[in-house]
Amino acid sequence: MQREEKQLEATLHAILNRVNDLKSAIQALITKLETEYETIHWPSFLDNYAILSGHLTGLSKILQAELAPSLRSVVVLPLQLGCERDEELSRLTEGRVPACTHDLVPDLLRTKPEPQAEQRLQQLIHKASTLNYDTAQKQVAQFTKVISHVWEIISKGREDWEGESMRSAGMQPTHSIADTHALVTAVGTGKGLRPGMPACVPPGAVAPGMGPSRGPTPQMGPAAPIMPKAPSAIKTNIKAANQIHPYQR
Amino acid sequence: MSAINAAPITATDSLSQALKANIIPNQEYLLQGSVLDSAVEVLLHRLRGLCDNVDAGPETFDDQEVCFSLRDPSQQAVPLMLRVRKALDARDMPYQLRYIGQPDLGDKNRPTVVRSSLDIACSGMLIEFLNELGCRIEFEYSVKGYMFRKGRMKITVAKVFKISQSSMPPEPISQSYLVELSVLAPQGQDAIGEDMRAFADQLRPLVQLDKIDYKRLGHMAVT
Repeated sequence: MQREEKQLEATLHAILNRVNDLKSAIQALITKLETEYETIHWPSFLDNYAILSGHLTGLSKILQAELAPSLRSVVVLPLQLGCERDEELSRLTEGRVPACTHDLVPDLLRTKPEPQAEQRLQQLIHKASTLNYDTAQKQVAQFTKVISHVWEIISKGREDWEGESMRSAGMQPTHSIADTHALVTAVGTGKGLRPGMPACVPPGAVAPGMGPSRGPTPQMGPAAPIMPKAPSAIKTNIKAANQIHPYQR
Repeated sequence: MSAINAAPITATDSLSQALKANIIPNQEYLLQGSVLDSAVEVLLHRLRGLCDNVDAGPETFDDQEVCFSLRDPSQQAVPLMLRVRKALDARDMPYQLRYIGQPDLGDKNRPTVVRSSLDIACSGMLIEFLNELGCRIEFEYSVKGYMFRKGRMKITVAKVFKISQSSMPPEPISQSYLVELSVLAPQGQDAIGEDMRAFADQLRPLVQLDKIDYKRLGHMAVT
């Protein structure tokens, strides 16, 4: 008997320590959130959750250990309820529980969900178990579809945002090697500039978006080849269509 | 007194002296590239941020260049090419006569093209003079665009137009602006090439400034 009591006490002590650790971690998290929310470095803030989860794992390990069964055989019996403020209790709980009242005690001593919640859970479980396989498959497929649409929208947004923020490469090319060669050769050797020769435009020249910067685009001669449409523009159109798609459904 | 006795210093003397001292900036270090019309504004904006002469907006220019060739009638050697440039937007400026040598690309460790280059300011009689010498007009074009400076470096962003015979508006060669980064320096100052590379890297990926051998390109287009 003596031995068991001692063991129980040790277990309780260990659990209490763990719970206190957890509590202080949560407090630190809340304080950080409330006081440093403007300067917080969010990735390192996430580490706080890792600490919390570590404490929780430790706690559940103790509860699962061999020592725990003795706790299960211990009965907690509320002897007295009252609406009057209990200073001692208030101090112990740091002001969170001022009195041992009828609203609180059932929740504190609860070992299974509320009857109402339990009933709803049962209903749901029943519904899930009676569901047709095909219907279930269909719903899963639908859900996956929705998720993938959301994923698409988000990644598109990210792409846009990154493209804008870096202003680099972008989706559209800003220079064309064919044009560079055409210009350099023209200035260097007069290719395409000698009288009686057609304008020098390599067949593969990329010409997206006729530049609006220089007023009206000069009319090409009748012999001039038709400019191939820019592949980049086509790509953009497809993307735009993708973006619209989810809203049609 | 001894100064009077000594032979008078002629222009040839001072020229050869300058050549010996290697102070004539007769080498052009050059990188070339192009930018599409749609992106030229972005490039100009970036250049405004990088360059020196931007207090009153970018400097514009509008030049016409005529390229003459002087052939040796007896031989089939490569004709000598001379370029005459005149400013269309500032008629009182002198004509510029320019000789450009063969571009030397070197190996891939050399950062820029190097070619010899001589510039002389001339009067308007120049064209007649060249005609009298037996020069023939090979081709001509006009360039209109913007000029930037950064230290010794000169950056031009310009549209190249074909000169039309009729009163039609000049026809651009391509849907891009020609971008050139160049420095004139005396022989052997290869360090400037590294500076140019560094500057060109700042314009990436908007413009890819490179060593381009137009002679090789010309052959490629023919074959």
